[in-house]
Amino acid sequence: MSKRFKTSVLSLAALTVAGAVSASDYGNFDGYTLRVKLIGGAQYEPLYTLIPQWEEATGAKVDILSRKSHFELDREMKQDIASGNIDYCMFSNHTNFAPQYDVMTQPLDGLIAEDTLAAFSPLVIEHATVKGELFSMPRHSDVSNMYYVKSLYEDADNQAKFKAEYGYDLTPPATWAQASDQAKFFTDAPDRYGTHFAGKDEGITGRFYEMLVAEGGALLNDDMSPAFNSPEGVAALNWFVDLYQAKAVPAGTTNYVWDDLGLGFAAGAVAFNLDWGGWAAYFNGDDSKIGGDVGIVLAPTGSSGKRTGWSGSHSFSMTKDCDNQEAATSLITFLTSHDAQMLEARAGILPTRTQVWDDVIAEFTADGNEYMVEIFAVYAESMANHAFTPPLIAEWGEISNALWPRLQAAILGDKTAQDALDEAAEDVLEVMEDAGYL
Amino acid sequence: MSRFRRTIRENAVPFALISPAILVILIVVLLPLLFSFYTSFSNYKLIRPDTLWDWIGLRNYERIMGDWDFWVAFGRTVLFLTVALNLEMLFGLGLALLVNKITYGQRTMRTIMMFPMMFSPILVGFQFKYLFNDTIGLVNNALQALGITHEAIPFLVDRWWAFFSIAFAEIWMSTSIFAILILAGLFAMPKDPVEAAKVDGCSNWQVFRHITLPFLMPFIYIAMTIRSLDVARAYDVVDVMTGGGPAGRTELLWTLIARTAYDDARMGRANAMAYVSILLSIFFTWYFFRKLMDARKHLGAF
Repeated sequence: MSKRFKTSVLSLAALTVAGAVSASDYGNFDGYTLRVKLIGGAQYEPLYTLIPQWEEATGAKVDILSRKSHFELDREMKQDIASGNIDYCMFSNHTNFAPQYDVMTQPLDGLIAEDTLAAFSPLVIEHATVKGELFSMPRHSDVSNMYYVKSLYEDADNQAKFKAEYGYDLTPPATWAQASDQAKFFTDAPDRYGTHFAGKDEGITGRFYEMLVAEGGALLNDDMSPAFNSPEGVAALNWFVDLYQAKAVPAGTTNYVWDDLGLGFAAGAVAFNLDWGGWAAYFNGDDSKIGGDVGIVLAPTGSSGKRTGWSGSHSFSMTKDCDNQEAATSLITFLTSHDAQMLEARAGILPTRTQVWDDVIAEFTADGNEYMVEIFAVYAESMANHAFTPPLIAEWGEISNALWPRLQAAILGDKTAQDALDEAAEDVLEVMEDAGYL
Repeated sequence: MSRFRRTIRENAVPFALISPAILVILIVVLLPLLFSFYTSFSNYKLIRPDTLWDWIGLRNYERIMGDWDFWVAFGRTVLFLTVALNLEMLFGLGLALLVNKITYGQRTMRTIMMFPMMFSPILVGFQFKYLFNDTIGLVNNALQALGITHEAIPFLVDRWWAFFSIAFAEIWMSTSIFAILILAGLFAMPKDPVEAAKVDGCSNWQVFRHITLPFLMPFIYIAMTIRSLDVARAYDVVDVMTGGGPAGRTELLWTLIARTAYDDARMGRANAMAYVSILLSIFFTWYFFRKLMDARKHLGAF
C-alpha cells in the first residue's frame, strides 16, 4: 500500500513538472533535431537530466555532439571556427571566454523575451554582454568565498596561542594579511597546511588578478597596455610567494586545479580554502572528513580595502549558423529557467535569476538547513557587491597563458616577483600589439 | 618532350596503378604540410579565420629564434628523448632477455608485458599524477610510512624530480615496445653461433657482448627509429601530469606548441615552432637509420 502510495505521489510529481514545462510554452518543433555542444563534468551534468522534458514538451530532439570539460570544449570550438564547420545551434559558453568566439556567436538581443531577461541579475547580464551585444544567457555564476574548518578556530588552545603569537584574536580572516598569518599558524605539515591555491593555468592567473584588484592595482591600462607589473602587482604576487616559501601551502599547490583544492579541503588537508559555491553541499556532507564542521565568510579584503571577487558565469550561446533560432532560443530559455536553476542551486551552485536566490534560501530555511542558508547569504552578498570579471576581451586566454608560468616561477623562487611580472608584461604587450590594440 | 611522352606511354600501367596511392599521399600528407608551412609565415589565429591571409614573412621565425623559452624547451626535449629512449632500450633489452629464458608461461608473460601499451597515455598520465602527488600520492605516503622521509617529496614540482617523474611515466608506458621487438630478434637468432662459442669456452658475458648484442642491434635501431617518431605520444602524459609546468620546468616542445596553437589560438606561430622542431625529428630518424644500416652491414646482411 505504502509502495503504491509512493508511486502515485511520484507520478503526480512527474505530471506536475511536465505540466509546468508545457505551461511555459517552449514552442513546438516537432521532428526537429537540435544539435548542441555542452560542457561536461559532475557538477554540470544534473541539469541535462531535464532535457527530455523539453523534448517532450516541444517534440524536438536534442543531439549532444560534445560533452567535454571547459578546456577541451574550448579547443574544439576554436577548431570549429578555423574549419568553418559549425553545424550545431547551441553551445556552452563562459562569460570570460565568450569574446573569443565572437565570429561564431549569434547575439541573443531580440531573441530572448524582455520579461525573461528582466528576471536575471543585472550585473550578470552585464557580464554576459560583449560590446553591447548579449553573447550568452548565464546559467550559473562563479565567485569564491572563504570556507574554513570551524573546530580549528573554536579551539581555545588555538585561540590563546594565536593571540600570543600574532597579537589579535583568532577569527576567520577578514583581510588577506590575516589569512597569511593564519595559514602559517595552522600549518602542521605534512598532515595539515594552512591553505592551498589553484597553482596553474587560468586558476592562478585569476587568483593573482583578484588579489591585484584587492591591492588597488589593475591588469591593463586604459590604452590596453599591461599594468600588472606595478607595486600593487608585486604585493599581490608576493602574498602567494610568501606562503609558498613559508611552506604554509603544499609544495604541489603549483600543480593544483579546482578538483585538487575541493577534494583536499574535504579531506581535511587545509584549515581554510577559497572556493566557489558548487562545493558547498559536498564540503559539509557525509563524504567529507570535515562534514558538519564547515564555516563560511566573505572573501577577505586586500590592502586597498576591496575584496577579492574574480567572477564569471557559465552560460549558453547560439551559433550564427543555427538553422532554427527559435528552437535554440527555446532550449536556452528552458535550461536557464527558474526550475532548472533551482535544481543546480540546491547543490550550492549560484543562480543567475534573482527570484531563485530567494526561493532556494526559503527552501533551505524550511528544511532547517542553516548551513546552506548561510552559504547563500554570503554568496548573495558577494555576487551583488564584490564580484568582477577579467577584461571581457578575446585576449584574456593569451594574457593568462603569458602570466601563469611567470607567476609560478616567482612562487617557486626561480625569479623575483618584479622580474616575473616584467617578463610577463613584455609578452602581454606583444599579445596586445598583435591584436591591434597598440 | 617526346622522350617524356614515351616514358609516360611505356609506363602507363604502372603509373595508373600507383596513382591512387600518390593521390592519397598528396591529399592526406602533402597538402596539410604545405598548408601548415604557409601558415607559419602568417599571423593565423584560429579564432580569426581572416588572419589566414595576413602574411607576415619571417616574423614568426624571427621571434622563435630570440625566444629563450622555446630553446630551453627544445633542449629539454632533446634531453627527455635521450634519457627516455636509452633507458627504455636498456630496460626493454633486460626484460626481453629475462622473458626469453622462461620455459613455462612465456606467452602469458609476453601478453602481460604488453599491458602498459594498452593504456591510453591520458590514463597513464592520471595514474602517475596521483602516484607522485605530494599530499595524497601513494609514493609519498609509502615513503613516509616506511620512515624513509618525514617530509613530502615534491615529485611534480622540483626541477629534477619533475623531470624524473615524467620520464618515469613515459618509460613505464613504452619499455614494452622495445622488449617486444628485441624479443622478436632473440627468437629469430640462430642457435649455432651461440653453441659454437660455448663449446670454444666463451663466458656468458662474451657470448652476449660479441654474438647476441650485435645480432640484436638492427632490432634495437628499428625500435629506436619507431619510438623516436612516436615518442610525441608522451604529450598526453606530460600534459596531464604537469602541463609543462610548474614555471616551465617540464615544458617540452609538444606542450609548448599545443598551448600556443590551441589555448592561445596562435596557429601561425605554433606551426613555425613545429617546423623548427621538425629538424629534431629528422635528425633522430636520420641518426638511427644510419646506425641501423651500419649494424646490418656489420652482420653481413647486405
